[in-house]
Amino acid sequence: MKHLERKSIALPLKKDDDWRKVLKIKLNALKPGLIEIDCRDWQFNCRDIYKLASLLNESGCKLLSIQSDIPETIVSAAALGYQTQLAKNYNEGIAQQVDRNLPGKSSANTLFHKGTLRSGDHLKAEGDVLLLGDVNPGAKISAGGNVMVWGRLRGVAHAGKEGNNNARIIALQLRPLQLRIADVIARGPEEKPEPGLAEEAKLQEGRILIEPANPQNLQK
Amino acid sequence: MAPNTRTILICSGKGGVGKTTLTANLGIALAKQGVRTVVLDADFGLRNLDLLLGLENRIVYTAQEVLEESCRLEQALVKHKQEPNLALLPAGNPRMLEWLKPDDMQRIVEMLREIFEYVLIDCPAGVEDGFKNAVSATKEAIVITTPEVSAVRDADRVIGLLNTQGIKPIQLVLNRVRPKMIASQEMLAVDDVTDILALPLLGLVLEDEQVIVSTNRGEPLTLSGSNSPAARCYSNIARRLQGENIPLIDPAKEEQGLRAKVRRLMQTKIF
Ligand SMILES: Nc1ncnc2c1ncn2[C@@H]1O[C@H](COP(=O)(O)OP(=O)(O)OP(=O)(O)O)[C@@H](O)[C@H]1O
Ligand SMILES: [Mg+2]
Repeated sequence: MKHLERKSIALPLKKDDDWRKVLKIKLNALKPGLIEIDCRDWQFNCRDIYKLASLLNESGCKLLSIQSDIPETIVSAAALGYQTQLAKNYNEGIAQQVDRNLPGKSSANTLFHKGTLRSGDHLKAEGDVLLLGDVNPGAKISAGGNVMVWGRLRGVAHAGKEGNNNARIIALQLRPLQLRIADVIARGPEEKPEPGLAEEAKLQEGRILIEPANPQNLQK
Repeated sequence: MAPNTRTILICSGKGGVGKTTLTANLGIALAKQGVRTVVLDADFGLRNLDLLLGLENRIVYTAQEVLEESCRLEQALVKHKQEPNLALLPAGNPRMLEWLKPDDMQRIVEMLREIFEYVLIDCPAGVEDGFKNAVSATKEAIVITTPEVSAVRDADRVIGLLNTQGIKPIQLVLNRVRPKMIASQEMLAVDDVTDILALPLLGLVLEDEQVIVSTNRGEPLTLSGSNSPAARCYSNIARRLQGENIPLIDPAKEEQGLRAKVRRLMQTKIF
């Protein structure tokens, strides 16, 4: 196989310009190759990442990896199977280890927690929660908004605990004992998930539906 | 004075998974290697470390009297007959539970650190006061579990609590491993356990009837230099603690080994 060139592209900051516009201009100036994208402060969901990847494809390039200051973006990219990297200066920004079994405090909308939740632990958030680590059997994670687990979810997760029906649960590996969205409860699937595919649970017509966090499903 | 004393808590969460047996065998194995070792029975509700070591009838004082200053530490330490490098300190009697505080436990361990190179603490089951007292006095921990879902769940809880107390390193021992049951997928495999607990594996201990025999005799397996499967496992764990690089046993190989042995036996019978 021909050796492909590796290039990096940084998107503009959100306040400066539209990322699609800038990306197209930068791509025009590039030969086909493997591309690493620094998404800076853009918050992308799986659909955005998919969009970004197809823009690259259209100009003969291939998305290799994603870097970002925003954890949601990283999770979305990881969920789609891309290599990911949090920006270097990001770690200091992460909220310190939240005390075990204490509701997480966060002024912003998303509570970050780094580290695995072990049996008996309960991480709570008012808004969204992003866990960088596993949820072990016997541990629980709950949020008023979405639950995002950059790791394996094997315990109990509750999204939209104040009744938000649109809340979702997403994890790199979804193999929970129990899922709850708003006040709907579902037992985890019996069979093992396919490796390497992130999965997403959402509420549809009163039932919890689990499906691969697959770009096709996310497209409107 | 031993400046580099290691204090290691041996704990599990769930009861009856083999803490006391591990403590006794590890104590003997380390003493045999020439390191001054003390085992501290922190399970005074149901103390039986002395029994396993065959030292029950030689206990006169306990840590309780030492703390009350009604005897000296040396008087309360029970030296093992055959392995003088090993001593036992009984923590106290069941009544002690009510007044013993983390401070007391720390004081006892500080005193022991002056004399010994290894302080092994046999932890009570559960995550209540007895556990908390013991944790407050230790630096390292060995978490022991069996390959059962409930034991693994409790071990996970304990590891979480040890983490919040800054205990480091925490290593894992998987006890009562039955290669045959793993092979037939009736038992959690080693990977299944380490996958959840995410700890470095210090060793496996095979299920072995000799453990029960030796328990009843008050002579830990490692004492007699027995070559039984569990005895080898315990010795290996002690050597790994000392920094030796000894490969882990592979349950799959053990199972093949067993089968080959049985086949050989059957063949000799037939021919
Ligand atoms: N590898 C083994 N093979 C066979 N039997 C074992 C093995 N390890 C431990 N046992 C048996 O399991 C029982 C419980 O062991 P032990 O007393 O060491 O557990 P423990 O964790 O200290 O219990 P407790 O929580 O009550 O203090 C004993 O009868 C012991 O002989
Ligand atoms: Mg015991």
